[in-house]
Amino acid sequence: MKIVITGGKHEADFIVKALKEEHHHLIVINQDREFAEYISSHNDVAVFPGDPTKAYTLSDSEAHNADVLIALSDNDTDNYITCITAKRLFNIKKTVSKVRNPKNVELFKKLGIDSVISSTYLLAQTILNESSVENIIKTLSIEDEKIVMLEIGVEEDFHLVNKRIMDIQFPKNINISCIFRDPHVIIPKGDTVIRAEDKLIIISTPNEQDEIIEYIQKKR
Amino acid sequence: MKRNKFIVIGSGRLGANIATKMSEVGEDVIIIDAKDDSFRKLQESFSGYEMVGDATDLQLLENAYIKHAKTVVITTDSDNVNIYLAHICYYVYNVPKIFVRLSDTDKGRLLEGTYIKAIYPFLLSLNEFMTLNEEEEDV
Repeated sequence: MKIVITGGKHEADFIVKALKEEHHHLIVINQDREFAEYISSHNDVAVFPGDPTKAYTLSDSEAHNADVLIALSDNDTDNYITCITAKRLFNIKKTVSKVRNPKNVELFKKLGIDSVISSTYLLAQTILNESSVENIIKTLSIEDEKIVMLEIGVEEDFHLVNKRIMDIQFPKNINISCIFRDPHVIIPKGDTVIRAEDKLIIISTPNEQDEIIEYIQKKR
Repeated sequence: MKRNKFIVIGSGRLGANIATKMSEVGEDVIIIDAKDDSFRKLQESFSGYEMVGDATDLQLLENAYIKHAKTVVITTDSDNVNIYLAHICYYVYNVPKIFVRLSDTDKGRLLEGTYIKAIYPFLLSLNEFMTLNEEEEDV
């Protein structure tokens, strides 16, 4: 693939390195002369020093008809202009823009940028995903996502209501670490009976997570 | 929704004078600039509303009644910001009349296919020179 990378500092360096290993045809444009030289010598690629918001820079660097352009500068407006110029005047198929202001994610997409990346936005999305779609389940990843902690609210019609833990056939890799029964916190033993309105705090692995949720939420 | 606001973004010499003139003819003018002291360029006859802030922030634009704008004139000192704002006014807020000042004639190509009108001081000066030069030669 022919890929154009404009602006950016260490993220540009990182992406250039990663894409070069995949043997893509890279065109790197960086306005900061010092950093242009750094990326160039570090990754053994030619870097065009120039302003990527100017049509002649994209023209001189022969960016025409590239498959992707990635705009990484710290200025959201400049990234927008670079992407729009690439799309409209240079027939570049797909544009990706980094944005500093997370509010610009939706706006840039509306204005025709194919993919918009904001680290703050991604962070917020991850947090939202982890606290799950239904509010009855909350999850938290620990130790690089090797362990998950789930919080599941027990409803009246769940099959395990009024059963002792020792009598329930749980799936494997599950540990009910704690039961929150307002206002008490119970460390469960085999003979602890699960009640409606309990909140179960469960430690598990990501692979078993879905199976466990499904099992616990099974109705009577 | 009534569109009756005349919004000027960028209170430089051009923006401030457009704002003043339109205010004099009775338009409901709102002028936006990132710096408070830019509004000193407004004439005394200006009776519109001044807003300090970053116009690339949609919240600020909405507070400036962009949804009620019949005309937006964009004259900040950056062509990139001007094009970006013009696109926002066109694609997001569908403002019926949009004018944008551009230094670089190349950038005008990004307005193709829209009704956004560009003003190029460079072209105006060049034409003025050609006219003045011809007049001299006629004498």
